[in-house]
Amino acid sequence: MERAPVRAPLIKNLEFKVGLLLVLTLVLAAGFLLYTMYARGAFERTQRLILVTENAEGVQSGMAMTYAGFPIGRVKRLDLADDGEVRVEMAIPVKDARWLRQSSVFTLEKSLVGGARIRAFTNQPDDPILEDGAERPLLTGDAAAEIPEIMAQVQDILANVKAMTQADSSINQSLVHVKTVTERMAGEHGVLGGVLGSPENAGKVIQAVDRSNALLASLNDVSHKADGMLGKADQRVFGPDGVMDEVQKSVTQINAILADVRDSLKKADAILANGEAISADVKAATTDIAVLRAEVDDSLTKVNHLINEINRKWPFAREVEVKLP
Amino acid sequence: MADDAARRTAIAAAHDADISLISDELPLRANLSVLENIAIVPQYRENLAYEVAADQAWALLVRLGRTDCAFKRDPDLTSEERFVAKLLRAVIRAPSIIIIDRPALLLPDCHYPPRVQATLDALDDKINECWIVDYPWNEPLYAPR
Amino acid sequence: MPAMDSLIDLLTRRGAALLAWLRGWRRLGRFGATAIVEALTPATYNSATRSVVQKQIYFTAWQILPGFTLFAAVLSYVLIQIVVDTARDYGLAQHALEMSVRILVLEILPLLTALFVGLRSGAAINTEVALMIVHNEMKALEETGVDPMRFEFIPRVIGGVISVVALTAVASALALVLAYVAVYGFQFFSLPEFNRVVGNVFDPPAIALLWAKVFAFGLAVTVIPISEGLAAPADKLFFVPISVLRGMVRLFFVLMLVEVISLALKYI
Repeated sequence: MERAPVRAPLIKNLEFKVGLLLVLTLVLAAGFLLYTMYARGAFERTQRLILVTENAEGVQSGMAMTYAGFPIGRVKRLDLADDGEVRVEMAIPVKDARWLRQSSVFTLEKSLVGGARIRAFTNQPDDPILEDGAERPLLTGDAAAEIPEIMAQVQDILANVKAMTQADSSINQSLVHVKTVTERMAGEHGVLGGVLGSPENAGKVIQAVDRSNALLASLNDVSHKADGMLGKADQRVFGPDGVMDEVQKSVTQINAILADVRDSLKKADAILANGEAISADVKAATTDIAVLRAEVDDSLTKVNHLINEINRKWPFAREVEVKLP
Repeated sequence: MADDAARRTAIAAAHDADISLISDELPLRANLSVLENIAIVPQYRENLAYEVAADQAWALLVRLGRTDCAFKRDPDLTSEERFVAKLLRAVIRAPSIIIIDRPALLLPDCHYPPRVQATLDALDDKINECWIVDYPWNEPLYAPR
Repeated sequence: MPAMDSLIDLLTRRGAALLAWLRGWRRLGRFGATAIVEALTPATYNSATRSVVQKQIYFTAWQILPGFTLFAAVLSYVLIQIVVDTARDYGLAQHALEMSVRILVLEILPLLTALFVGLRSGAAINTEVALMIVHNEMKALEETGVDPMRFEFIPRVIGGVISVVALTAVASALALVLAYVAVYGFQFFSLPEFNRVVGNVFDPPAIALLWAKVFAFGLAVTVIPISEGLAAPADKLFFVPISVLRGMVRLFFVLMLVEVISLALKYI
């Protein structure tokens, strides 16, 4: 039989080109599938870590656990055990497991915006490495645990402020005495009478100033403690939780108001020092005292407001009322 | 054949799977060359590789001395070449009957009966049976049998 | 009453148009289903149909591969840059990569490929099928013992699907590389971070949805033009432009529908 002539076909190497394209497509598709599986950690050797918690709300399969902001594992599955606790099984890539030690702490944080986060903390990097299949508690952002302590500190501060502002408090007495002195100075005895008539009063004034200075020191101390504690809380277990944030804000407010009080007290200190030195400008002194009282009053209103707010946010049903006499 | 209605009745049988109809109304596949048009039939029906099928088609074209039109497409063909292509497309399938419908339409402007006959004679061993359907007024054109 | 008559006439014509429109969809669905079944039937594949599939892939994908790849690369790079810059301005730089991968690989590139192939090959197929019907080539093929459905149409559907998948795969792979370069520059140290983001975007449901979408796009760009072309009446040459017009409109509609459905499945 005669052969059909080998003629240059319309399309050169049609089969080769189409085959190449097909192979390319298959390689891309399969490669992409394998790549995403690899990217999702399907080929990584992982070790198990079981986190136990009472409430795993917001935790989803596939969620990442972070250490120092880097993802080092993901949630494999969630089980509700017979005892009502949730067992969160984590898959930790073996190469990342070195960040986790026996003493590592795991927390679940929920914020008002955004999802829940699981975080790992390792404070002692010298501890032995966490073993495969370890079981650890998953601490939830339970801010209430630390709140009483903070509140105790706040109550101390408030008690001090209250003591300072009670009718019979030394500072008030001092102020009354100062008033008496200035009245006397303004009265028929004049300045001389003020000076001569009140040696014991002058002593009391000095004493009051000393005491308020001591009080200031203690206030400062307390507020520093509160600051430090909050810093620690933030750094460690009780991170940027919605409720915790509020506490921090309130304490910041307390600090600000305390600073106000402190300023007022400083002014009082200065005026009292003036009184002690028996300024010639009596009129100015009395005006200053009126301003000072108004300021103390203002500060107390702020403190009152703050206390009410704190009481509203947490059920510390205690009547805390601070009044300027 | 008496008239158009009779003609239609005659070719209606062509829808039988074993009968091939060659007609002016059934064109070649426009995007394939003559050779491909013929080769596609064994390629499709017997799953032959293109080369094998093309060899068969080429052999038929050689017999009729029409290899020069093997790589032309439908619009470039003369009516004679077109007729040959259509005929070979039917022949390569080896049906029991081939019906040629109104050859006057397929081969206009010429004394077609001898040409048809010559072509059929050249393919004698490949054709089982061939009917030519034409109007009675064209009968004088055909050689008496 | 002439008013009544004209109203009845109008309603009849509207109703007939609606029925014709619905019949078009039914024909489309039936052809699509046949095409899928035939494509999965081994008997469909023989020497002749294979060559049609090859030619279809050649004309639909290979011919436009360089130009399309270049176009997709430029578009991807520009879009990635816009997303990255905007995200930086808003302080959301850590989401820039994820966002650009999502909009490009999951949404824009598949749709763009389908539109490109639809406008180019879809229109060509629609015209050719309509001309085949008009010229009675279908009947001629049947007469020679070649099933036109299996010989001409199914291979085109197969070739079309493969072409859309191939072009999308090439463009998407390129877009991923470009996204890496645009976000991290020419270095390899950020690969773990990149892997994490990509792993996050392409979870198994997302991959399944992407595959289903690309497959649906590939079917649409061939099934709709063929089905619309098949509806052309024989011997009516003037009908070819109308057939192509209808096919293109329907194709556009279906592509958008597929996209909207995929978005709805993903985000609702």
